[in-house]
Amino acid sequence: MKLPVVQFTREQQAFRLKVRAFLQQHLKAGTFQTKCDSWLSGSDSAFSKLIAAQGWIGMTWPKHYGGAERSTIERYILTEEFLAAGAPVAAHWFADRQTGPLLLRFGTEEQRQFFLAKIIQGECFFAIGLSEPNSGSDLASVRTKAEKVEGGWLVNGAKTWTSNAHDAHYMVTLVRTAPYDEQHKHKGLSQLIIDLHAPGVTITPIPYLTGERHFNDVFFDNVFVPDSMVVGTLGNGWAQGLAELAFERSGPERILSTFPLLNELIVELKKAHDIAGLATASKLLAEMWSLRNLSLGVAQVLEEGGEVAIPAALVKSIGTKFEQKIPEIARLLVRAYPSLQAERAFDRYMAQSILHAPGFTIRGGTSEVLYGIVAKGVVAQ
Amino acid sequence: MSEMLEIVSDVFEKMCKDFVTKETVDLLEEGQWASALWQQLEDNELLKVAVTEQHGGANGDIADLLALYQLVGYYSVPAPVLEHTLANFILEAVGLTPYSTVTTILFDEQYDKADGTMHHVPWARVAQQLVLVAKKQLMVIDLSQATITQATNLAAEPRDTVSFQQAGIIAQVALSKQQLQQLISYSTAAKLAAMSGALDKAFQLTVRYSKEREQFGRPIHRFQLIQQHIAILAGEAAIATAAIENIAHGMERSEIAFASIRLDEASKIVATSAHQVHAAIGVTYEHSLQHYTRRLWAWRDEGFTAHYWQNQLAQELLQIEDLWAWMTTK
Ligand SMILES: Cc1cc2nc3c(=O)[nH]c(=O)nc-3n(C[C@H](O)[C@H](O)[C@H](O)COP(=O)(O)OP(=O)(O)OC[C@H]3O[C@@H](n4cnc5c(N)ncnc54)[C@H](O)[C@@H]3O)c2cc1C
Repeated sequence: MKLPVVQFTREQQAFRLKVRAFLQQHLKAGTFQTKCDSWLSGSDSAFSKLIAAQGWIGMTWPKHYGGAERSTIERYILTEEFLAAGAPVAAHWFADRQTGPLLLRFGTEEQRQFFLAKIIQGECFFAIGLSEPNSGSDLASVRTKAEKVEGGWLVNGAKTWTSNAHDAHYMVTLVRTAPYDEQHKHKGLSQLIIDLHAPGVTITPIPYLTGERHFNDVFFDNVFVPDSMVVGTLGNGWAQGLAELAFERSGPERILSTFPLLNELIVELKKAHDIAGLATASKLLAEMWSLRNLSLGVAQVLEEGGEVAIPAALVKSIGTKFEQKIPEIARLLVRAYPSLQAERAFDRYMAQSILHAPGFTIRGGTSEVLYGIVAKGVVAQ
Repeated sequence: MSEMLEIVSDVFEKMCKDFVTKETVDLLEEGQWASALWQQLEDNELLKVAVTEQHGGANGDIADLLALYQLVGYYSVPAPVLEHTLANFILEAVGLTPYSTVTTILFDEQYDKADGTMHHVPWARVAQQLVLVAKKQLMVIDLSQATITQATNLAAEPRDTVSFQQAGIIAQVALSKQQLQQLISYSTAAKLAAMSGALDKAFQLTVRYSKEREQFGRPIHRFQLIQQHIAILAGEAAIATAAIENIAHGMERSEIAFASIRLDEASKIVATSAHQVHAAIGVTYEHSLQHYTRRLWAWRDEGFTAHYWQNQLAQELLQIEDLWAWMTTK
């Protein structure tokens, strides 16, 4: 598996510094507080508005739709800076990362006109409606069904674990538009954009183990979805969904969810002049560097329109393990009393990292399933 | 296991089953503790298992307590059973009188004057007195005169901030270095026993879930990667249980150090694999797995940690001549 090497241009470096300065300024002003895992558990629509005002949502999309036609690598830099600063970017994350590219690839002109500009302005957030109570890893077994009616579809069923559905306006939802066939599970699946405020939609929180509101159950009771909200080709939902996963699995958010803790670890060790501790911590930096090489390589292939399913699965499975490892190494180097209310940043980031870490290797496809994809792919080559 | 211990464990476990439900543990989150359980334990003299006959107890020893603490971990008992019984055991060990009203304990090596502020005091909000083990002395402090600010650890267990204008010291005794070391060993062993119980429970829950959950048309325990997780969990649970049984009798310092270091590792491995097998359902508040993994994450960083014991062992290793002889002849 050979991936291209990415060398940042001068303009790209300048862009990085610009984003960094923006974040530092807002950090100082108290607009947000650094948190670990803030890309998924830090939803703040006001902050998303500020990002939008900078032109940093949908920045790679065509100018024609309000985008800035910047490169994938620039977007990569932007997201890296968000993660390093632990900024609350969850509200617009899925729309920027997945829905926009999905609509650009498969959406109708009408859908693009309607949604992209709103997403870019930070006014339209999306949730991802894949998992169901009985369909987790076996996603092709989803049962939520859409039946054809005059002018559209009537949806019945339920999605679960839907991150931030309570803050989102719409959800790209994988549904069955043809009867379930045990032998051909992947067939008859379609993607519908469902308005989460439509009659018949009920969203109930599933409290996270910390008690925080993060993900939800979303129920559909005869929800009407107009024909114009079908994404791409009817029955092609599985293939379209797979294409989305490449964007989802290889980004810096699979490496840097706990970076604020790693940074604070180095700060604490330096304060204590702990050379042996810094030497141990340097192994984490080497790991981060190696993973970043891969992740950037995948971003470059994506930019060139190449096929990345296998390296993306690889980056996610190794990267999320690394994110999980940071708190486990850090607590052996610096005495911590992890607590979400702690005054000391190290203790606070430690608590956030420990409590959110289990999800890293689950969300977006479990490691076990990803290992299967990587192994099969490598063996087939 | 002695006959007495077996009976005591059985009765204690029955009470846990009757009085500690998922809901009672959840209520701790809202600040309510299992006072009904406490009453039962008191009525049945289970809180006096390791109190001497002279003070109306059953004359048990630390091994008896550790067996109970494993159950405290296994059932995530939302009451200060460990703190109270350990505090009393330690009071008698240094020649002081135990209490029947709720008593808690804190080790604070830095602390030599009982005024000012103490952090992370377990269960201070419900205790009458605090046994404070400082570097050179042990003090019993009347908590009725203290200002108590409620705070919790990662598992929502009470770890309060206690501050005094003038501490009411009810009893006080000087500690030799050897005595202090002994008390540190007791405290560490107590925590490790509770951790081993929680580890075992996380393992049991995972096995059960792997049989219930189906994906791709079969129970997930049929997948080899899930089998690997289960085998790893079985190994960690066995290692933890054996470690507690091995330290229970000798209370040998280096063995307590080994157990501490190894159970720290076990808690990481078990929490990771148990959550991985449960996947999304395991990170919900609703599922009881979090009661155990959050306790493991909290307990491993409280009191005397693996980090502390690694440094103790390092000191000891500097003194020894022959590693093999030291490991095998104690
Ligand atoms: C924090 C978080 C946020 C999430 N957000 C969203 C969201 O916004 N939208 C959404 O749709 N979903 C979301 N999910 C759900 C996520 O996609 C699923 O949890 C995941 O796909 C696994 O499904 P499951 O939880 O049902 O586990 P299961 O599929 O039941 O898996 C249980 C265990 O069995 C293993 N397993 C299953 N099949 C195999 C196999 N063939 N071989 C080996 N091992 C196997 C798994 O790896 C796992 O260890 C989120 C999950 C989390 C934790």
